[in-house]
Amino acid sequence: MAAITMSELTKVYPNGVRALDALDLQIADGEFFALLGPSGCGKTTLLRTIAGLEVATGGSVHIGERDVTDLQPGRRDVAMVFQDYALFPHMNVRDNIAYPLRIKKVDRRSRHAKAADTAGGLGLAQLLERRPGQLSGGQQQRVALARAMAYTPQVFLLDEPLSNLDARLRLEARTFLKRLQRDLGVTTVFVTHDQAEALALADRIAVMEGGRIRQVGTPVEVFRRPANTFVAGFIGSTPMNLLDAQITDGVVRVAGAALPIPEHAEGLVADGEHVTYGARPEYLDYWPAEKSGALPGEVVVVENLGSSSLVSLDLPGDVGTMQVVVPEGQEPQPGDRGWAVPRPGRALLYRDGSLVTTSVPAQAAPPVDHEVLVGDTPSSGTLSS
Amino acid sequence: MNSTIQHMLGRVGRYVFLSAVLGFFAIPLLWLATAPFDRTPKITTSMPDFALDNFRALLDNPYAVNSLLNSIYLAGGAAVLVVSFAALAAYALSRVRVPGRDALLYGLLLLSSIVTGTATMVPLFELAFRLNLIDSRLGVILIMSGGLLPAAIFILKDFMDSTPTSYEESARVFGASPLQIVRHIVVPVVRPGLATVAVWTVANVWGNFLVPFLLLRSPDKAPAAVIMYTLYTEGGQANLSLLSTFSLLYSLPVVLMFVFVSTRYGFRFHGGIKR
Repeated sequence: MAAITMSELTKVYPNGVRALDALDLQIADGEFFALLGPSGCGKTTLLRTIAGLEVATGGSVHIGERDVTDLQPGRRDVAMVFQDYALFPHMNVRDNIAYPLRIKKVDRRSRHAKAADTAGGLGLAQLLERRPGQLSGGQQQRVALARAMAYTPQVFLLDEPLSNLDARLRLEARTFLKRLQRDLGVTTVFVTHDQAEALALADRIAVMEGGRIRQVGTPVEVFRRPANTFVAGFIGSTPMNLLDAQITDGVVRVAGAALPIPEHAEGLVADGEHVTYGARPEYLDYWPAEKSGALPGEVVVVENLGSSSLVSLDLPGDVGTMQVVVPEGQEPQPGDRGWAVPRPGRALLYRDGSLVTTSVPAQAAPPVDHEVLVGDTPSSGTLSS
Repeated sequence: MNSTIQHMLGRVGRYVFLSAVLGFFAIPLLWLATAPFDRTPKITTSMPDFALDNFRALLDNPYAVNSLLNSIYLAGGAAVLVVSFAALAAYALSRVRVPGRDALLYGLLLLSSIVTGTATMVPLFELAFRLNLIDSRLGVILIMSGGLLPAAIFILKDFMDSTPTSYEESARVFGASPLQIVRHIVVPVVRPGLATVAVWTVANVWGNFLVPFLLLRSPDKAPAAVIMYTLYTEGGQANLSLLSTFSLLYSLPVVLMFVFVSTRYGFRFHGGIKR
């Protein structure tokens, strides 16, 4: 077990693509850590660089006290579970699990005992003689995990661990994986593009974009206080509403309505400043009657989410669309006029794409000029999908 | 009504045509199966007057049986060389990025059809002569292997390309050395490809006449394909009893090898990689 420290880590591919851009990251001992981001953001490259399958162009990787930047993958004491599981098709389950021990020159009897033991712990005891082709997706994943565990590494690396399972199995495997990680207590890094998966599994999440880390934090932090509009749009099964706003006379003017300045930004914004007002659909309450400090709009679409509904409101003056989560039994009809009331302490203000705060964020990202199109933010996987 | 008759006639015509084509291919094979057991084999296929005299006569021929052993030696030697070198080259070409790799492969493939062809026989003979490889079975093996290698590399590279690299990366993370990865993972996974190339090499060398005919001087080193050419009667007529019997013995090993390899290695692995 060990912590992982990356400093100034850079990876430039021969074709000139800068997959990792002077990246600093610390993963604590025993932590379950998620690398989250859209495809092409460098998350898999980062994982493979920790594993040693990619050679860093610059910077360093430490596992525990050891500098492993230039070590071969086999000497880093890490185990990796691949997205496709990479179980050897010509070996049965026992030989697959025992393979790392075969490389370590453990004798046949003790490595088979260890394989049977590990397999038993993951409910694979009946399957030892089977070939990978005769296993279901979930069983294959557990064999791949067992093979990694038999290696007893300091760090587990999981590449998209749940992406090859069907929806129902995915929920089961998620619970299983979280429990297994807690029981083993081994530092585990996993890559995912599914924000719901990252929120559900990880102790901490690094949200990546374009080879840089945009925010590191606990699931609660990245969900409640996204450090920038990229993270705000990426995290959450329904993307955050991001609306153009201006500060006038101590209030935030959005689409003609006057809203109170969110607490976190009080005293940090000046009159006349252009900002982005952010509020999650889950943190907005729908009112059928006029109300002060609320955003008015016309209901255009009502989408049923099961125990609640997602209501889209067109804001006056072609400013855009805003989404509100409405509990069951209170759904409006399309065509109704409605008001969305931000919950106190949950609305956020962004300036030049970054959250308005007193402290300078540790991962200072260059100001990115995000086109703010509410309701057109990158779609992300949902819990219910 | 008219169209039904037309349809019927069309079918009859089609099957008559197919039977004729089938007969064209089947009758020589039928001859091969019956003539060796005929007391007096003729050029036509007929019910044999059963006898095993032809086999006895063939065993009396000083070179016949020995030539089959020579064929096995040449084909086996070339197969070992081609499979081992082609596997290593194909693995490297499939996994390492070399500039101009595809051009190299296609160039080799193009040239390889020339190497064992008639056009280069004079320079090849000259080369073998300078290297003291005339009348040497090793010389034949080397020249045949050289000619077959590019195509073998090409076939095997395709097999290697379709093998996911995650198998090897997985083994690498567990600390396996490159040689261990090849032995434990790559060779077992591409085994059907290796078997294919081995069979293909054996069949090619087995059937090749020109190279051993030109390079081997002494008849006791000649393979079956060359010895068959010598089975004539004193009158200069083809000795049908010997020729038919020898042809049967000559084709059997190749047929048996195909059957064996397709039952043993014809299967493909499934699973282990979730697509």
